[in-house]
Amino acid sequence: MADFLSNYSIQKWLESCPQGYLEDTVYGHGADEREPEDLLQNEAYREQQIRTTVQLIAGERCALAASSGLVNAAPDQASKTFLATQTLDEGRHVEIFTQRLYDLGVKPIDLESTIKAYVNPHLGKFAEVLLEKIDKKDFVAGVVGQNIVLEGMAFSVFEMLHAGAETSNPKFARTLSGTIADERRHVGFGENRIGELIRRYPEKKPEVQRMQRDMTKHMLATFHEAFARNGGPTEARASPPQKGKPGPTYQGLNLAEASNEDMEEALSATVLKEFKTRLGRIGLDYQSPV
Amino acid sequence: MAQGDNPHDLGEAEFRATVHSFEFWFEAVEGYLHGRPYGVSPGLQDIELSERQRQGLITTLCNYCVGETAALDASSGMIGFAPDRGAKIFLATQVVDEGRHLEVLLHRMKQLGVADPDAEIAQRANRSLLKFKDRLLDFVDARDWEASVFAQNVILECLEFTVFRHHAGTADPATAEMLRGIVSDERRHMGFGENDLGRRLLTAPHTHDRLRKIKRELDLLVLDAFAETMGELAIERDDRPDLAGDYLAAVARLGFGA
Repeated sequence: MADFLSNYSIQKWLESCPQGYLEDTVYGHGADEREPEDLLQNEAYREQQIRTTVQLIAGERCALAASSGLVNAAPDQASKTFLATQTLDEGRHVEIFTQRLYDLGVKPIDLESTIKAYVNPHLGKFAEVLLEKIDKKDFVAGVVGQNIVLEGMAFSVFEMLHAGAETSNPKFARTLSGTIADERRHVGFGENRIGELIRRYPEKKPEVQRMQRDMTKHMLATFHEAFARNGGPTEARASPPQKGKPGPTYQGLNLAEASNEDMEEALSATVLKEFKTRLGRIGLDYQSPV
Repeated sequence: MAQGDNPHDLGEAEFRATVHSFEFWFEAVEGYLHGRPYGVSPGLQDIELSERQRQGLITTLCNYCVGETAALDASSGMIGFAPDRGAKIFLATQVVDEGRHLEVLLHRMKQLGVADPDAEIAQRANRSLLKFKDRLLDFVDARDWEASVFAQNVILECLEFTVFRHHAGTADPATAEMLRGIVSDERRHMGFGENDLGRRLLTAPHTHDRLRKIKRELDLLVLDAFAETMGELAIERDDRPDLAGDYLAAVARLGFGA
């Protein structure tokens, strides 16, 4: 365990993250990068991007509360120091996505009311399930919920958004690529650290699997509402479906011509497949909410 | 914030948004951490310590670890009930600072030949410091923001600032450089405590009486910790630095005098 955890030291984090892929960035993107003018001028598209960014902030606020709450519950020094780096990663994500709302024209004084107006209620329930475990200082359930379920979901959502933004919005794509790199590290820690703890405390399995099932249920409801309720252009795309047009792809799906249902299905299938793989690696069976 | 801009030229809201950010933190730490793995320049020559010096340093580092673990647990716990986003993000930077301090101290202990730092800490930890840690975490568990900020960002940070600064003046080169990096962080943490509580005291002056009571209780533990540590290190009374005087002066400079 000691050797694996030494790869998650603060020294390694400093060298690879702030002094590595974040070097020369401002709020996660290049100093001269801006939101595209056509986005800022198109009110419907701007609002859609505000809605998307609000969900990212809500997810990252949950991750900040969870990772900071886990520091105190960690059973060893090395896990505490890794969670310290994760706490700052999540704080940075809250900061950069909040800054994106400002870049999209939201005034700082309207921040909380904007979040309240646009946040997906299912995402709130998803967070509640996790934060209940954190409040009880349940380290095993907390790390599975945070570093496998929440981070696994965030990772796939960011990848889809990144695929959609890569050519149409390089600034947002750059911001996302830094967060994806962070999430990869967090998921890696979860898999490595928790596998050993699950083997040591097998009696924890049923409770942790119940939590995963409940979180999955709220996650799928979040996706459904995000894709179905908006009706108009989907969140990962800059314009309405355009048949026959080449466009960015995600999991083999052409995002320029895919329907909202296609995109929801692709994202849900990707996240669930990831869950099954990652949960299997730590000795847990995926529980379907259906 | 553009490089070279002085945050003190900004309005209050903008000042707080600037200094309580990942960007500000990174610009601040980059200057003294870049190229210094575990807080020490790679080319710095370690000097040979006598066995008595080595044992004394290990005991001191064990006690520093107690303080830094208290700060790590407290600052991370405080994020859950911090009053606004800026405070949460500042505390997230403090969490990583405190985690880094713990990591560099443990690394130094290993360089000094300590095979099991946890066991050494359990054996050598100062009782008053352990009591202080319990008291601080009581405030955090009770989600008492004012008491937590005061105990952590004023009292504990002033204690560490005073001790580390003195120690850096007399320590071996590697330990001294590591401590100077920690002291630079402590200044930022003390600034947060002073700023946050200062604003609160303006609107709720009765808070001052409450904080004074907490200070009286914690001062006793801090002063006991100084005395116990000096005794363990076998420093002659005449040779002891005036840590208590310096600590009380540092706290008073933040507006919390006797």
